[in-house]
Amino acid sequence: MRTVLLASMRHHTRRYVAASVAVAIGVAFIVVVGMLTGATRSGLTADVGAPVAGVDRVVTTYDSREVARLVEVAADRDIPVLTLGYATEPVSRDGVQLAATADVSEVSLDARLQWQQLEDGRFPAATGEALADVNRAKSSGVRLGDVVRVGSGDAAVDVEVVGLVDSPAARNSALYVPWEDLRRFQDTSFWVDAVAWGGSEDLARATAPEAGVESAADWTAARQAEISRGVDVIAILALLFVVIALFVGVLVITNTFSILFAQRMRDFALLRCVGVTRRQLRRAIRLEALALGLAAAAVGIVVGVAAGAGLVALVRRWFTDMGPAALDPVWALSAFVVGTLVTLGASWLPTRTATRVAPLAALRPDTGVDVRSAAGRWRLGLAALCLVGGGVLLALAVSGSSVPAMLAGGMVSFVGVLLVGPVLVPRLIRLADYLPGGGPVRRLATGNAVRNPRRTATTAASLLVGVTLTTAILTGLASSRTAIDRDMDDSYPLDATLTSAGAPLEASLVDRVGGTEGVTDARVLDGTVARVGGLEVPLLGSPGADVVVRGPADLSAPDGTVLLPYAVVEELPTRLGDRVWEDRELTVVVAGREHTLRVETGSGWGRAGLVSPATLATLDGDPRPMAVWARAGDGADAEDLTGDLAALAGAAGAELDGGYGNRTWVYLQLDIMTGAVIGLMAVAIVIALVGIANTLGLSVLERARENALLRAMGLTRRQLRRAMAAEGLLLSAVAAVLGTGIGLVFAWIGVQVMVGSVVEGAGFTVPLAQVAAVAAVAALAGLAACVVPARRAALVTPAAGLAVD
Amino acid sequence: MTTTLPTGTPTGTATAASARGLTRTYGDGDSTVHALRGVDLDLPAGRFTAIMGPSGSGKSTLMHCLAGLDAATSGTIAVAGRDLAGLDDTALTLFRREHIGFVFQAFNLLPMLTAGQNILLPLELAGRAVDRERYDQVVGVLGLADRLGHLPSQLSGGQQQRVAIARALVTQPDIVFADEPTGNLDSEASAEVLGHLRRSVRELGMTVVMVTHGLDAAAYADDVVVIHDGAVTAHLTDPDQDALVAALRGGIA
Repeated sequence: MRTVLLASMRHHTRRYVAASVAVAIGVAFIVVVGMLTGATRSGLTADVGAPVAGVDRVVTTYDSREVARLVEVAADRDIPVLTLGYATEPVSRDGVQLAATADVSEVSLDARLQWQQLEDGRFPAATGEALADVNRAKSSGVRLGDVVRVGSGDAAVDVEVVGLVDSPAARNSALYVPWEDLRRFQDTSFWVDAVAWGGSEDLARATAPEAGVESAADWTAARQAEISRGVDVIAILALLFVVIALFVGVLVITNTFSILFAQRMRDFALLRCVGVTRRQLRRAIRLEALALGLAAAAVGIVVGVAAGAGLVALVRRWFTDMGPAALDPVWALSAFVVGTLVTLGASWLPTRTATRVAPLAALRPDTGVDVRSAAGRWRLGLAALCLVGGGVLLALAVSGSSVPAMLAGGMVSFVGVLLVGPVLVPRLIRLADYLPGGGPVRRLATGNAVRNPRRTATTAASLLVGVTLTTAILTGLASSRTAIDRDMDDSYPLDATLTSAGAPLEASLVDRVGGTEGVTDARVLDGTVARVGGLEVPLLGSPGADVVVRGPADLSAPDGTVLLPYAVVEELPTRLGDRVWEDRELTVVVAGREHTLRVETGSGWGRAGLVSPATLATLDGDPRPMAVWARAGDGADAEDLTGDLAALAGAAGAELDGGYGNRTWVYLQLDIMTGAVIGLMAVAIVIALVGIANTLGLSVLERARENALLRAMGLTRRQLRRAMAAEGLLLSAVAAVLGTGIGLVFAWIGVQVMVGSVVEGAGFTVPLAQVAAVAAVAALAGLAACVVPARRAALVTPAAGLAVD
Repeated sequence: MTTTLPTGTPTGTATAASARGLTRTYGDGDSTVHALRGVDLDLPAGRFTAIMGPSGSGKSTLMHCLAGLDAATSGTIAVAGRDLAGLDDTALTLFRREHIGFVFQAFNLLPMLTAGQNILLPLELAGRAVDRERYDQVVGVLGLADRLGHLPSQLSGGQQQRVAIARALVTQPDIVFADEPTGNLDSEASAEVLGHLRRSVRELGMTVVMVTHGLDAAAYADDVVVIHDGAVTAHLTDPDQDALVAALRGGIA
């Protein structure tokens, strides 16, 4: 039996290529995911423990008063102490804003706790000196010796940059300043989660009774685990796509084995005739599958390691927090085992069918390979059950907004579609007969394509999976994008606002803002300055809906009412603040006269109150330009725009605010997600195309005599190639059309269930261009997949084809 | 049936196909196989010619070359007055389509087409209109009228072969090549198929060239060409059984 096994494997090596490619791609996919997440994890967790390396304990507390006490006590007793936290403050240089919000952390003046890696300059020796992150410094043009202003208003402090450091991903603040400078922000934006503590545990407990004390090693381990969990979530998401790709791979392999075994049916029968038992035959075939799986998985590991190393190297050029490429041996072994098992599993059913062949089959006259197969009754019954059950689950999911029901319903109904494929797909292909402009070539192609319904259905199914999911995800993302659009318009009605801190703005500012690259519209707002409980708040006459205001947001205030940002209300003394929240009233002083206004709160227009023009006239008879609002054009670079406007704002003594940066950031996230989904799904589609090429290629071998007959009767090479191309195109087009349809239905359900439960009246948006592109790419790729088989078929001379036995 | 034959030659004495100095070798070096060694042959039009010879004598290769399915190594072939040398694959294919019909031993029909569709396939491939009269005539001669809607798998071996013959005849080719058309059939079905082939020569005026190794099959033919080891050893006209046996023996001796 071993001779037979080895000989048949040698003889059929080429026919197994496509199946091995499918397995290898799947395995390589797993390896690449493992290497990327491994590199990300090692990069993100690197040096997590660096800040606490110089101390034995870490005190964790969120109470800033306890932090202050700990630092004071430590200072008294000369205990090393370092706060691990950050303040988010604006940073400017010479009145020009460098960053609207930058993370500012503490750098110790104690050499034992100066954990940062110095790239240039020196560590601060006194209050008023600072370290800057080397990458952030590069992008904002900060150099050694520059004096930058941190914070705004009274709390602002000037510090000199004396050193540049390279921070690890886990702690990467833009600026590091000594405690005395940092503590200014203690009551505003400073947030601490831990304190590196060089003293005893008892002292820490005595000083900060609410805080937790743990060893530095434990704290580091806990932080690393926390980051790892975040990376693991990404890994699991990526593995979901691996599972999809492997599922497509299973379809391709099962199909390959079915076709190969059908072609070798006479060989098997002959073996049975000469005395091979059914068991021996089954063992031989499974060993063949095992050998294929092992070989393909090994190739997959090698390809995956190469691709992973390349990708990690590539990503590290832009994303410096990425660690070096390395492959966890356990992960690699799992990938290898999964690849082998998938191959073995996929061969299971076809093997059972193959070994059921009767020895007599070898003795029957050769009437060509009988490749007919049909859908059994049980299969149709099961399909109906799946479709109905899945439909009910999906209906329940929509009515109850239940995600698990949606996933289960989607999967069950999709399985139903796959099961009903042998009936459905040939019918759809037959529809091509009704298209105008048919000829013998197309009739031949449709005839060939529907000859073996199960084979055709499985081939189409492999592509169907990819097209359906890609369409569903793209449509889902586009629909959530419209919901996000509305949300963005509500939260960020204005792209940029330059609001005076008190003094009127120059009249020419609006022209300069309007002339800034990326700004399409700018308008100036008149206003006045009101005093509220010790604060100076500009009050602007609101234009209401305006060209500079995005979306349907209406920023107009009724007469006698002021629209006040939440942030300003928070700043008010407690007594006034409570009055705003409870009575919705506020008394402001303008030009020495008191006015009581109704208050509505909101956000998105900078630090100013909005009143109607009529109200403004009653408050101040001579309003002055107090703010400029600007609208950015589509695709304007957020960083450039912010930089340019910050310079103008700084020079004019105004504060820059606005939502354009956040808006573009959110859209960038969405674009990255869309890109990632397409990239990940592409793997499954590539495997499906390998499957189509494979089915067509094997069919060519099977139909060698038939093609020769046609060629003898006058079918030209060109016509034969066209017939093959039409067959591939029909297969992939049906998969594309069906997949797009099902994908859109799934997307609609997904939007109802997932977006509809979060946002009122979720819209269903079909990204026509994207969906059409997916369908077109899938259909055309089917055409590309048959280039090689068609060439091979056309090269055979009729005489050679007829001689094939 | 005289469309492309040289003018002025009466039907029955014209040449449907001819070969001069035809050789065909496969492989090279020590493994060279000489399938045909300088064959000179004229096949008369309007007659049923059998090419006979033992296995490996080169009769199938001769037929493949004459039919433009295989390229000759040297020598010239003319079919229906056209020199096949120098035609590229597409031109050859189009020539076959217009002038030559085929009947093979096995696997003769496309399994997914009905008998009627199989018969009309060559016309469809050529994009030619169906001559209804000719179709009905051919179908009638071959006795297939009540089988046209059946798939090949629903037909007996003899019926399948008759469908193949009908397909070869429906285009009114200048010459029909049949490669062991009865090789897979029992004697009764063989007789039926051969009878139909002869009828098509007699009643439809076709030229049929059949490769066979069976004496019984050859008995249906008007002329018999005997080939041994790649060379023609006899070309008999209306031979009787004894002359045929003698010619075949002679080649072996």
